[in-house]
Amino acid sequence: MKFSYDFLQSFFEKKLLPTEELADLLMMHFFEVESVEKNGNDFVIDIDILPSRTADCFSHIGIAREISAITGMKHKEPTVKIKQGKEDISERIKVDVKGACNRYMLRAVKGVKIKESPEYIKNRLISCGLKPINNIVDITNYIMLETGQPLHAFDVKKIQGEKIIVRYAKKRERIVTLDEKKVDLEEDVLVIADESSPLGIAGIKGGVVPEIDKDTTEIYIESANFDSKTIRKGSQKTGIRTDASVRFEHGLPCEFAEIAMDRVVSLILENAGGEVMKGAVDYYPEKSRTEERKISVSIDKINSVLGVDIPLKKAEDTLRSLGFKIKREGKIFSATIPYFRPDVAIPEDLIEEVGRIYGYENIEPVPPKEVVIPQKESKTLKVKRTTRNILSGLGFFETYNYSFINQKKADFFNYENLTEMEKPVSLEFKYLRPSLIPNLLSNLSENEKNMADVKMFEVGKIFTNIKNKKGEKNSLGLVCSDGDFYKTKGEVDVLFKKISGKSVFYEKKEDESGFFKKGQLAKVLIEKEEAGFFGVASEKVKKEWKLKSNAVFGEFDLEKVINLYEEDKKYEQISKFPYSLFDVAVFVQEKTPYSEVLNKVKKTGGKYIKEVELFDVYQGEGVPENMKSFALRIYFQDKNKTLSSSKINELQKKVMTALDSVSEWKVRKK
Amino acid sequence: MNSGEVKKIRDRFLKELEGSKSPSERKKICKRYIEEELSSVFCCLKDLSGENKAKVGKAANELRQMINEKMKESKESEETKEEWLDVTLPGKQPSFGGVHPLAKLQERCEEIFAKMGFISVEGPEMENEWYNFDALNFTPDHPVRDMQDTLFIKQKDREKLEAKDKLLMRTHTSPVQVRYMEKNEPPLRIIVLGRVFRNETTDSSHDINFHQLEGLMVGESISVANFRSVISFFFKELFEDSVEVRLRPSFFPFTEPSFEVDVSCTICNKKGCSVCQKTGWLEVVGAGMVHPNVLKSAGVDTERFNGFAFGVGLDRIAMVAQEIDSIRLFYSGDLRFLKQF
Repeated sequence: MKFSYDFLQSFFEKKLLPTEELADLLMMHFFEVESVEKNGNDFVIDIDILPSRTADCFSHIGIAREISAITGMKHKEPTVKIKQGKEDISERIKVDVKGACNRYMLRAVKGVKIKESPEYIKNRLISCGLKPINNIVDITNYIMLETGQPLHAFDVKKIQGEKIIVRYAKKRERIVTLDEKKVDLEEDVLVIADESSPLGIAGIKGGVVPEIDKDTTEIYIESANFDSKTIRKGSQKTGIRTDASVRFEHGLPCEFAEIAMDRVVSLILENAGGEVMKGAVDYYPEKSRTEERKISVSIDKINSVLGVDIPLKKAEDTLRSLGFKIKREGKIFSATIPYFRPDVAIPEDLIEEVGRIYGYENIEPVPPKEVVIPQKESKTLKVKRTTRNILSGLGFFETYNYSFINQKKADFFNYENLTEMEKPVSLEFKYLRPSLIPNLLSNLSENEKNMADVKMFEVGKIFTNIKNKKGEKNSLGLVCSDGDFYKTKGEVDVLFKKISGKSVFYEKKEDESGFFKKGQLAKVLIEKEEAGFFGVASEKVKKEWKLKSNAVFGEFDLEKVINLYEEDKKYEQISKFPYSLFDVAVFVQEKTPYSEVLNKVKKTGGKYIKEVELFDVYQGEGVPENMKSFALRIYFQDKNKTLSSSKINELQKKVMTALDSVSEWKVRKK
Repeated sequence: MNSGEVKKIRDRFLKELEGSKSPSERKKICKRYIEEELSSVFCCLKDLSGENKAKVGKAANELRQMINEKMKESKESEETKEEWLDVTLPGKQPSFGGVHPLAKLQERCEEIFAKMGFISVEGPEMENEWYNFDALNFTPDHPVRDMQDTLFIKQKDREKLEAKDKLLMRTHTSPVQVRYMEKNEPPLRIIVLGRVFRNETTDSSHDINFHQLEGLMVGESISVANFRSVISFFFKELFEDSVEVRLRPSFFPFTEPSFEVDVSCTICNKKGCSVCQKTGWLEVVGAGMVHPNVLKSAGVDTERFNGFAFGVGLDRIAMVAQEIDSIRLFYSGDLRFLKQF
């Protein structure tokens, strides 16, 4: 909100601090000053008035009160000088309020002379971003800037009938606003009307019909308080936002209407002449119900919350300087809240007032004395951190993608039941991502333009929508450009073994999606639980993402890993007894999985098998057609004693016989 | 054979040795003389007689001793010889990746706050209106709700749903305050690091999703002075010891009093630069004493407990600390960016 320095000065007899110093003070004790700019002989101070103070500080008097409390300089409230005529306004006009209006006041002035406003008014309006029009319009705007209360003037002669009606717009009603725009009104938009047609959109914008022009001599002035939600809705529906609508939207105290009315009449009489009619029309049903609001707080509570030691007297003076009436009993203040501070409602609000005027920068840091109750860190955070550290150690770079996917990706993967966003700023963010893979493939595709070797992963939330029950879970996705299934498998294996401390198995996964090369998709099992999949990208995927390389990609359910995560892996006693090495090669059918051979060996050797390593897979010379050779190194060990040579012999023979006994397998003779 | 011949062998040996180029060559010479020349001398020793035998034997033994010594010397010098390496050649690069800069920063924040007894907790990214707004003292239908451009989830007949069923992407990490307090009794100290969403047009400092660091401390007699101590420690640890922290008034529905926290610009040292928009200060934290209504909605006894809460834009901190000029780089997946960390 823009404020005129010259306008602010008018509330003070003494000279205000220079603008920069004033801006700094406001910044540290009130709200942020966004800029100070010169405008002729004036300065424009732009202050970011936050929602708590819009009622009293969308006005110059509000800021003047703040300056007064912060600097200790006394300000003066504007004065009123009205000499009323004999004719009573109530004989001329009636007001009929049909809703959404808390207070509606009208006064009438006869015999005004329309001319230009005095220079100081015009300049101050310009400083605040308003265009001077004529003395009557300018003065209503000027008093709005002064008091925060929007006002409106009508040319009496242009009003039909003897009634001003506050009502909702009728079906297909239209109005031409002061800036000559035609506006279609909806039925929940509030209007001010005479007996024939709308005169203006209530609290938002005046209509062109009762416009003040150079021939106007008799005016009605409206000072009203409209329901904030109605104005907010009306402003959204009509798409019109004005200085008036903004003030009403945020809510104003009803008292403002009367104060502003007195000021505007006073200033009109001073600058446009004429005579004001006796009395005012004042629709104010809640008047009897308004009562003084009081809250109590002790100086001890103030000091305890702020963590300072402000003397009683100083706190009391601060509150008084802000307009609170204080009664004190011992250490307890009872504060009567001034009408212009609807934001103050609880003791903490008073603490804030004392604190900010005292200056938060004057509060010295004090370490908390409160005991710390140690808490365990969640497994989720540990798993995420360990995953990041292991994968980055294995050469993967972590990426953070948007949590969304677009229609194109949704269609490609045939995702169903996606969670859709309401009016996202871009269609790129149409759906919540149900998987990390689509965006990772985009990363791969983009990065391949700049480099050959791309290995990336993401740890993040994916979103589910099962039977209309929306949820989210932690996921891990990875993508590599090298197309080496076994390399990625090795990396995945290291990750899950390290992280889960459990045995990890792999099985072939049937792929119906066509996103993987036929037969090149594996699922990962940790302790029999399926924890994810990975495989080599199909031509279809390569084409869609314009990939240069054979990509390997996969996704893993981190929630399952988190469940299986154990910090303390059990120690296995290191055997004191030597192990015995035995190398054996076996011919098997080309499509026999290694896991079958391994299982056979382990089953046969039982507890004597310490480890089995596969050190060669060979096909070619010396190996029968359609067969391959697996060369194994078996470590035999007894945990309790040294294996005798006869036992070793027996074990070796047992293993060889077992392998040989499988039809179509053959132990290779040396 | 006489001792003179042995002497000739000796001279020949010394001459050859002198002409040699390297310790290994000298070693070979020594070896040859012992194995060939000397052994033939010793061989014919048995055919010699009397005085001559003694003379030749003595000379040959002396020569053998000398050759052995020379051999030893050569061996030693061979062992200490420099084998030339070009240490400036690039090493064999192991494959090494990297953690996202924001994840790294998150870990640093967790470490710093852990020292002060704050534990890191999490909450859902998809929230409902009750936790995101109502429980945090946002009045319904108030312009304050418009301060945050909320990204709502499309739902059928949304208006008819209860606040707890109206879904949205959380606009801040503050809902986790309420979720945590519902399940845990004070005193408590937590931080929340996570992704938040705003439905606003993206530019170099705004993106549809970004990350926040949220802090909450609730106990008996917690003060603004305590908050200042905690937040100052955090920034001194994160940046440097000389960093200054200042508090000024602000407004948030869920805190009262509310503050804006500025830290002195780490780039220009308060002199004023483009990063701090010539003010010398960076506005990085929104904070305040937790509003009693928030404590109440989480079931905390406000007679006994109070506390402070704060929220920091993690992306902005990383941008300042690492001089990154666009927030969108964090979410670009561009390895030319990610490989730098």
